[in-house]
Amino acid sequence: MTDGAKQDPPSLDEFSQRLDAARGVKEAKENSRRTGSVALGRAFRVGSELLAALLVGALLGWGLDTVFSSRPWLMLVGILFGFAAGILNVNRAFKESNGEAQKD
Amino acid sequence: MIDAAFRSLRAAGPMEQFEILPIVPLTLGGLDISFTNSALWMTIGVGLTIAFFYAATRRRTLIPGRTQSIAEILHEFVANLVRDTIGHDGKKFFPYVFTLFIFILVANYVGLLPSIPGSPHEIHTFTTTSHIIVTFALAMVTISIVLIYGFAKNGLKFFKLFAPSGLPIWLMPILVPIEVISFLSRPISLGVRLFANMLAGHIILKLFAGFVIALLGAGGFASVLAIAPFLGSIAIFLLEFLVAALQAYVFAILTCIYLSDAAHAADH
Repeated sequence: MTDGAKQDPPSLDEFSQRLDAARGVKEAKENSRRTGSVALGRAFRVGSELLAALLVGALLGWGLDTVFSSRPWLMLVGILFGFAAGILNVNRAFKESNGEAQKD
Repeated sequence: MIDAAFRSLRAAGPMEQFEILPIVPLTLGGLDISFTNSALWMTIGVGLTIAFFYAATRRRTLIPGRTQSIAEILHEFVANLVRDTIGHDGKKFFPYVFTLFIFILVANYVGLLPSIPGSPHEIHTFTTTSHIIVTFALAMVTISIVLIYGFAKNGLKFFKLFAPSGLPIWLMPILVPIEVISFLSRPISLGVRLFANMLAGHIILKLFAGFVIALLGAGGFASVLAIAPFLGSIAIFLLEFLVAALQAYVFAILTCIYLSDAAHAADH
């Protein structure tokens, strides 16, 4: 009996289960190795998010200033709003990456 | 020999690699639409991608070979990314996100290839993603899809993205402009991040490599010191190898996050 069972080719379902199990172990190892590069990506992201929002705020304010000819006041307000939007962006970026970490 | 190499390379500054040069000059109604070195390297990147996926899918087997495995891993990676961030609505965006990811990835890696020595400047290796117009165009495509899909799916409720329900009315004048600026900053941060990373990396790489040639050309004890920038340029190249993949991944994941915002704007 045991000999017969051995010669049967393993079913595909069983094979894919074993494959998933093996992959799970490998992925866990890879994840711990990957955190360094993910942190680097996050760092790049935070800087550019903050800067881009500040730039957009200042440009919007400057544009409104040329429309209402009220230079430089709206630009100053725009920089303030832009900075706030930048902080919001950074906050969101961290929330997203924290959510990812919890899912893993 | 080193002297000759030194002389020919000293003329090439770190910014020279980003120069756009026409290969086949063309004009259309006064517009310059020449086939440039940038277009050439985009074509090479797309050509390599098509060739690779043709080779990978030519002999489809249940137990994949090497090329089929790579194609399947790439597919699974992006499919998981799309499913995890956008949810069940995400399936229709898979072709776009996959194309975007592969295009940026291949463009970044093709730009790291060494130029053929002695070849004319027009066909030197060129990184298309180191030009802001390319990355910004890609970012604008993403944002256009977000806007069109967002309005098509949610109608005017798409504006809830800027004014979440349950917000006290006196906070509106402060929070709505902040949300609008935050939304407008997305294509800029998306485009600038990829462009700046590629540009800075290639400049540093070229500078370090330039130091090696300069020190070797100086001769004597200075030549021994050339080992330091040589090791440095190897380290920078390894970092660039990582950054090339990382930036393609960041671009793809942010595209997914923005699309997910558009898909779920009404739920806010």
